[in-house]
Amino acid sequence: MLNYILRRLGAGLLLLVVVTAVTFWIFYVLPRWAGVTPQGMAAMYVGKAPTPEAIQATVDRLGLDQPIAVQFVEFLRNLIFGQEFTFGRQTVECAAPCLGYSFSTNSPVLPQILDRLPVTLSLGLGAAVIWVVGGVSVGVLSAVKKGSIFDRLAMGTALIGVSLPIYFTGLLALSFLVHQWGLFPVSRYVPFGEDPVSWFQVMILPWVTLAFLHAAQYARQTRAGMLETLGEDYIRTARAKGLSERKVIFKHALRPTLTPILTILGLDIGMVLGGAILTEKVFSLNGVGAYAIDSIVSKDLPVILGVTLLGAVFIVVCNLIVDLLYPVIDPRVRITA
Amino acid sequence: MASTGSAASDAVVRVDDLRVTFPTMDGDVHAVKGLSFEVPAGGALGIVGESGSGKSVTSMALMGLHRGSRAEITGAIEVAGQNVVTASDKKLRQMRGNDIAMVFQDPMQSLHPQYTIGNQLIEAYQVHHPKAAKSKARKRAVDALGRVGIPEPEKRINAYPHEFSGGMRQRVVIAMGLMCDPKVLLADEPTTALDVTVQAQVLDLLDELRRDLNMALILVSHDLAVVAGSVDEVVVMRHGRVVERGDVRDVLSKPEHPYTRALLDAVPRVEVSRAQRRAQDRADRVARDKCEGVVTKPGDFKAFTPATGEGEPLLSVRDIAQSFKVRGGMWGRATDFWAVKGVGFDLYKGETLGIVGESGSGKSTVSRMIMRLLEPSKGSIHFEGKDITHMRERELRPLRRDVQMVFQNPYSSLNPRLTIGESIGTALKVQGERDGKKIRTQVQDLLERVGLEPNHYNRFPHAFSGGQRQRIAIARALILKPKLIICDEPVSALDVSTQDQVLRLLSELQDDFGLTYIFVAHDLAVVRQVSDRVAVMRKGEVVEMGDSDSVYENPQSDYTKQLLTAAPVLDPDEARRLRAERFAERDGAAA
Repeated sequence: MLNYILRRLGAGLLLLVVVTAVTFWIFYVLPRWAGVTPQGMAAMYVGKAPTPEAIQATVDRLGLDQPIAVQFVEFLRNLIFGQEFTFGRQTVECAAPCLGYSFSTNSPVLPQILDRLPVTLSLGLGAAVIWVVGGVSVGVLSAVKKGSIFDRLAMGTALIGVSLPIYFTGLLALSFLVHQWGLFPVSRYVPFGEDPVSWFQVMILPWVTLAFLHAAQYARQTRAGMLETLGEDYIRTARAKGLSERKVIFKHALRPTLTPILTILGLDIGMVLGGAILTEKVFSLNGVGAYAIDSIVSKDLPVILGVTLLGAVFIVVCNLIVDLLYPVIDPRVRITA
Repeated sequence: MASTGSAASDAVVRVDDLRVTFPTMDGDVHAVKGLSFEVPAGGALGIVGESGSGKSVTSMALMGLHRGSRAEITGAIEVAGQNVVTASDKKLRQMRGNDIAMVFQDPMQSLHPQYTIGNQLIEAYQVHHPKAAKSKARKRAVDALGRVGIPEPEKRINAYPHEFSGGMRQRVVIAMGLMCDPKVLLADEPTTALDVTVQAQVLDLLDELRRDLNMALILVSHDLAVVAGSVDEVVVMRHGRVVERGDVRDVLSKPEHPYTRALLDAVPRVEVSRAQRRAQDRADRVARDKCEGVVTKPGDFKAFTPATGEGEPLLSVRDIAQSFKVRGGMWGRATDFWAVKGVGFDLYKGETLGIVGESGSGKSTVSRMIMRLLEPSKGSIHFEGKDITHMRERELRPLRRDVQMVFQNPYSSLNPRLTIGESIGTALKVQGERDGKKIRTQVQDLLERVGLEPNHYNRFPHAFSGGQRQRIAIARALILKPKLIICDEPVSALDVSTQDQVLRLLSELQDDFGLTYIFVAHDLAVVRQVSDRVAVMRKGEVVEMGDSDSVYENPQSDYTKQLLTAAPVLDPDEARRLRAERFAERDGAAA
């Protein structure tokens, strides 16, 4: 078991190195191939009206005129051992794992990401709870009452859910529920530790909006899986025992249906934790996703790299958790390293 | 249908004029059209019929399992004094498991894979005894498992279904049925998915339980030989109607209805030898050809049985073995599992070699090695003198033409998106034939030869029955005029009468084209009738090999003897005698 986890973590680490390399290549190598000089790249960071001296200073500091391989190794070394940045008199310590130094905010990347992480975690995990509970229950009900008005209505709504983008549903919810009818407060994010009630009030609308999109997919998947399971021989056996329909559905049919749901849940949560960009932007939540977008707009390469790596970390970790959960849900699955 | 002489008042199951209709888009399908029978307490009834006869629909109706489907049910079904047709859902649930319990066909599918068997057994008890303590339910479960012959029930109760073999799982399902002491046990094809020896064990167990617990038994099967030894009365169904009903001895010895007679004739009998069967088939054929104005002389039949050792063998297999890597254990070290450990034989032109064995015996692995779908781990295979053991795919091309295979499942071995003409003709194209018209005529000739219509060329597989599909599969194998055809369980998915027709076709084709067969099957009677020589396999080894008459009449190995006594017998008295013998042997061994 431990062996297995270690092996998976090792493989995950390797994956992260590959992701780093690819991202690095996209942002540092591709522009050079397109003919951008080290000076040109440095100019992007220096700010408006750059002086040639400032640009040259940046080139030297970042080593932008070094060969690409050297730059990449340097980046990895900083990632593992940390780095110090000097601006004249001022020295900024960037402890390992150092993802680099953001030029728009003049500070190391990682603490800034970590600052915004609670927002994204609140949003992602809260929404996940809603979409799993909502999607699975609607799916089960639809399967059991297949062909009924409820089933058709639910599947119709689900179709709308997967089709409509967040910036449409989100803006709709904002303009009616918040601005027009005043059902929810207009306020900024409040940390859970400070005021749980306000936290909940602020988050509920983003949660529902983000969950709506995913719940639709989960409802459809649950319904299909449930219908398939209900046709299995062991469901007939359960009925032949004299079990109540409720027991047949919730004890015997639901569990096999959940196995594939768990797989997509792992991926989805991993994705959302890497930054739910649209939701965060629409609801003005200053999370990791919003940070990523801002850094893309300001071409803040170290931040983009950092956010990408963080997203990859979440995907790797969530998948590992899902794989460890499989044997719990389905005893036929055995973990062999 | 007149009632039989037994006192109707003590009947625990009474079915009167049962009709089950499924409304479909193409009009109503009448699955059961007026079925009546009763079973006395402790009695045993067999319901026999081929697929589509309505026997499974009947058993579902007995459990009230059509509730919530489109089925329309009229007539009366009374189980333990309760009318199943009119009972409320709640009442019906109380009856299920409590008054009538069911054992299903496929034990691999009928237990929930994600709960321990203990959990499922205890649940079956608790649903009808909600106030009973868990410890009491658990004790009952352990007792029931012990009763059906699960070793170490105390320990095994915490195991999951996938940790049991098929036969053991069927025992668990039976144990689950016993949890609430039902008055009726309904077994729908309980042994169809099982090996012969396991089949005998399960049937013996059902018989023993019925006597010990005074349960009524309803045994549903497509095979008369399965019910012969276990029931008192038998109902023969066809197209939803009862064609014959009566005491099992009368029905089997003096069948009145022609359908019953045909069904009985079609059951392969282990005492019929290859020579007898072949003589019969040829005589039938000469008679049939005569009707059509074709003169066939016995001399026209090409198949012959060569004396072993004469001339060059077509296929020569020396000590082949196959290992698979199995991962397992804590450190996941791969270990070798030997599916086949050293099999060898020579096969001469025009001969049929039968390979018999139970699941896991390695018989399919042997045929796949000869096809070179697998590369043998050890040993050698020579085909027409050429060593093909480790040939590469490119060099195997000619072999792919000369050796063909007919598979077990006619439903999944044909591509559903290709017309059967394309399916059969593809092989010609692969081997380089370009002329479309030529391919078409060749395929159509062959379709006619295997008993289908030439104008079936453009139809898709779903338009054909199981037997017809197997004919298509045979045509597909024949199109390239192969020298050797390997039939892997070619008739085990078919009804007895269809099975008989396919066997007949195979033997006719052998006469016409001088084909050589390797015939792999688990059914001893079938293998005897088609094989000149027989190899009995067990756990990857050949335990006995010889010409089929001597293996069957004078078996040397204990395993062959065991297989032969376990094979179902059509004579009810003989079947009961053999069962008594098995019980005596078991009790003797236990003492």
